[in-house]
Amino acid sequence: MDGYDTIVIGAGNGGLTASAALAQKGLRVLLLERHNIPGGCATSFCRGRFEFEVALHQLSGMGTPTKPGPLRMMLGNLGILDQLELVEMPDLYTVIMPGGFKIGFKPDKNQVIEELKARFPHEAGGIDTFFKRVYAYANQMLAAFFFKDPAPTREKYPDMYADAFKTAAQVLDELFTDPLLKAVISVYWGYVGLPPDRLAFPYLAMIFFTYIEFKPFHIKGGSQALSNVIVNKFLSHGGTVRYNCGVSKIIVEDGAVKGVVTEEGDRIPARFVVSNASQVSTYVGLLEPEHVPDKVPREMRGRSLSPSAFTLFAGFDCEPDALGFTESTSFLLSDLDVSDRALSRMGELAIGNQPMVVSCYDVGDPDFSPLGTCQANMVTLKYGKPWLKVPPREYHKVKYKCAEEMLRRVEEIYPHVRGHIEELEVATPLTHMRYLGHPEGAIYGYEQYTKDSMFFQPGRYSPIEGLYFASGWVGDCGFHPTLQAGLTAAKSIVRKLEKEKK
Amino acid sequence: MKKAVHEDFDGYDDIVREIEYSRKYGVDYTRERSMPERFIDRLHPSRLRLRVADVMDETASARTFRLIPEDNELPPFLAGQYISLSVETGGILTSRPYSISSPPNQSGFWDITVRRVPSGLVSNYLFDQVNKGEILNTSGPCGNFYHNPLFHDRNMVLIAGGAGVTPFMSMIREIVECGLERHVHLFLGNRTLEEAIFHGGLSSLSHRFENIQYIPVIENPSGDYPGEVGLITEKLIKEKLGDITGKTYYLCGPQGLYDFCIPELERLNIPGRKIRKEVYGAPVKVSDCPGWPEEISETQVFSIHVKGRGAISARAGEPMIKSLEKAGLTLKALCRSGECSMCRVRVVSGRVFQPKGVPVRKSDMQFGYVHACVSYPLEDLEIEI
Repeated sequence: MDGYDTIVIGAGNGGLTASAALAQKGLRVLLLERHNIPGGCATSFCRGRFEFEVALHQLSGMGTPTKPGPLRMMLGNLGILDQLELVEMPDLYTVIMPGGFKIGFKPDKNQVIEELKARFPHEAGGIDTFFKRVYAYANQMLAAFFFKDPAPTREKYPDMYADAFKTAAQVLDELFTDPLLKAVISVYWGYVGLPPDRLAFPYLAMIFFTYIEFKPFHIKGGSQALSNVIVNKFLSHGGTVRYNCGVSKIIVEDGAVKGVVTEEGDRIPARFVVSNASQVSTYVGLLEPEHVPDKVPREMRGRSLSPSAFTLFAGFDCEPDALGFTESTSFLLSDLDVSDRALSRMGELAIGNQPMVVSCYDVGDPDFSPLGTCQANMVTLKYGKPWLKVPPREYHKVKYKCAEEMLRRVEEIYPHVRGHIEELEVATPLTHMRYLGHPEGAIYGYEQYTKDSMFFQPGRYSPIEGLYFASGWVGDCGFHPTLQAGLTAAKSIVRKLEKEKK
Repeated sequence: MKKAVHEDFDGYDDIVREIEYSRKYGVDYTRERSMPERFIDRLHPSRLRLRVADVMDETASARTFRLIPEDNELPPFLAGQYISLSVETGGILTSRPYSISSPPNQSGFWDITVRRVPSGLVSNYLFDQVNKGEILNTSGPCGNFYHNPLFHDRNMVLIAGGAGVTPFMSMIREIVECGLERHVHLFLGNRTLEEAIFHGGLSSLSHRFENIQYIPVIENPSGDYPGEVGLITEKLIKEKLGDITGKTYYLCGPQGLYDFCIPELERLNIPGRKIRKEVYGAPVKVSDCPGWPEEISETQVFSIHVKGRGAISARAGEPMIKSLEKAGLTLKALCRSGECSMCRVRVVSGRVFQPKGVPVRKSDMQFGYVHACVSYPLEDLEIEI
């Protein structure tokens, strides 16, 4: 018998937790991964004596042992919490501008409010109201949906009813006039991919709420450690993983999944398929058009692709403070524009005045890089489209030109970085496209407008029986949401099997 | 049907209308079938079929194979990068990395220059059996040994031993053919002048271009050799360069070159970040590596149980990847030097030897993953591939 109960396509966050949870329940699970290493985005690569973190900036939803967050509980249920060394990050974020402006926040609500009021005394009232609304929204949302209030009403949850479908900019404009404050308070838009006048206020609210309440974390060994720990758990439950094994086709008969065909041509039967591949490549690349009901492409039409990223991974031959890296997460702003212009700049090749985030993991985890060295991950968001127009022969030239521009921006704030670079790798939207297989290298899946939230979109289920999704393409993006997506897919499969038994 | 809670939220109707419009004017993703793959293939094809267009002898023991694309255009590469050649010979499916010696501006063909190694499985196959017209399967260009304009100096000091000159030939040709503003000193070490690959070409480039300095260094010259003799020492480097600062040093050659030249550079106080080293295969004699257990001889044979595939026998002194290939289990591999991590396998039980400095991810180490191209069994093993 060479069949499996479930085949999971892709060992990214969602594929990994789906595999581990199903194997934990005793299902026969085969996990297929195109690359030689698990993780998808949650991975690392080595250059010289450095191991570079690819994607994890600040792990959300973790919480402390005494006040555990949803992610800590989830990792506990998977039985892997004790194998991970979690490091609480000392900073929420810092915003730095050329010319000396700098403001830093700790993951502590009062400190954030006090610091903002000290720097923006003329906006003190609005600052208080902003955080009241952030917390009111988050608490009401959790009470109504996470704790499943059977009879939610506008009277019980006035902020949720009023703010759920607002944009971040609407709320910022209601409360503030100072453009610097608006820019400073909304920089986390970069973690979702839409500037404030497009970003749903709930995202900004939930990001502040979860990072402050459950603290930002980092993992010793980086996100690769998390991926390896989950694979190890999966193997110990009897799961099978095949690396260097892409899938070319999902087999469907009579509207139900029957298995997959690998790129090597192996036909492997299975009752369920969980796709951690992008929704676009699953429906358009892996399934024959005749098996995809019309409503799927119709629904997909309304979705747009998120930006990709342009990233510099730098290893330095000195300690972080020698370069001025004193905070773990810093947003560099050169421009206070948080309107549609920010959006259109992401559609250009040039780096320009775009915001960027500089993460230095060695602040707070001194053994992250070898003794006496440190590394920084510098990212700015870029749509993949203009990169698709770069002729292959021009690619390296364009890549280094943009990287040079970005490095100069970093040098404005940290003037000594270049003289200490020992390793420097550049990733473009095409790099993300190459390693993730996502159309246009979209790192956050589809764009996450309000219309794209779980209220309005079909989510993890597909009209094809036995096919499930587990990725940032079917819900929110980020580590915690994608890890959760895998568990949710697994739960749906387990529930279906239990129902059949009865 | 019961009304959903969110239908009463402020602004609900606007969102519904937005969805309607976006579906009407949105993207037809069904037209994008395998788009990412097709785009990426132009830059990073995973496999290429190349035809041998020409075979040229460089020295008595080195030969250049000129390769032209059989299917599509050649993808771009950076001078210094290599391709991994897949070869089936003597019933063994294996691969070898070869630096491209032609410059990246030459987009019609790639040259690889191969030195025949007396006991070399692949080099002998290439010399004896591969002629003009033959089709070879290769990877796309890969590797991290190239001039990085973001932090490398425009003054480049290239230090090569033997066939280690090949990536430098690509770099130098690009500099002269594209008129790049870079200055090169190439120190090329060889045992005899006759063995020096590209000696004629490099001498003439050095004469014609002011920014190319070629310094052949011959260890055992025959007769009255007027040039530099011996090894590439601190003294010679200092003497030829004058000012040793503001330069990036690139090294490519066998382990012996690194063992000798890196300490020489360190004595000149060249900072580590200015020294770039190309990987150059597994150690020739692994038992000479520091840390090799004295009690194990290279000829000892152990059994490796490969999960789901049965047991194979493996010599302690041979990289696991080769023992696996001999047993018909070929792993994907590119650099075969420990760097690229393509041949990552998991050691479930048993001890293996890994030379110092192999870049294995921290959490891979924790869970027993090794790079099979530079891992050697020290007892019976159980592995997963």
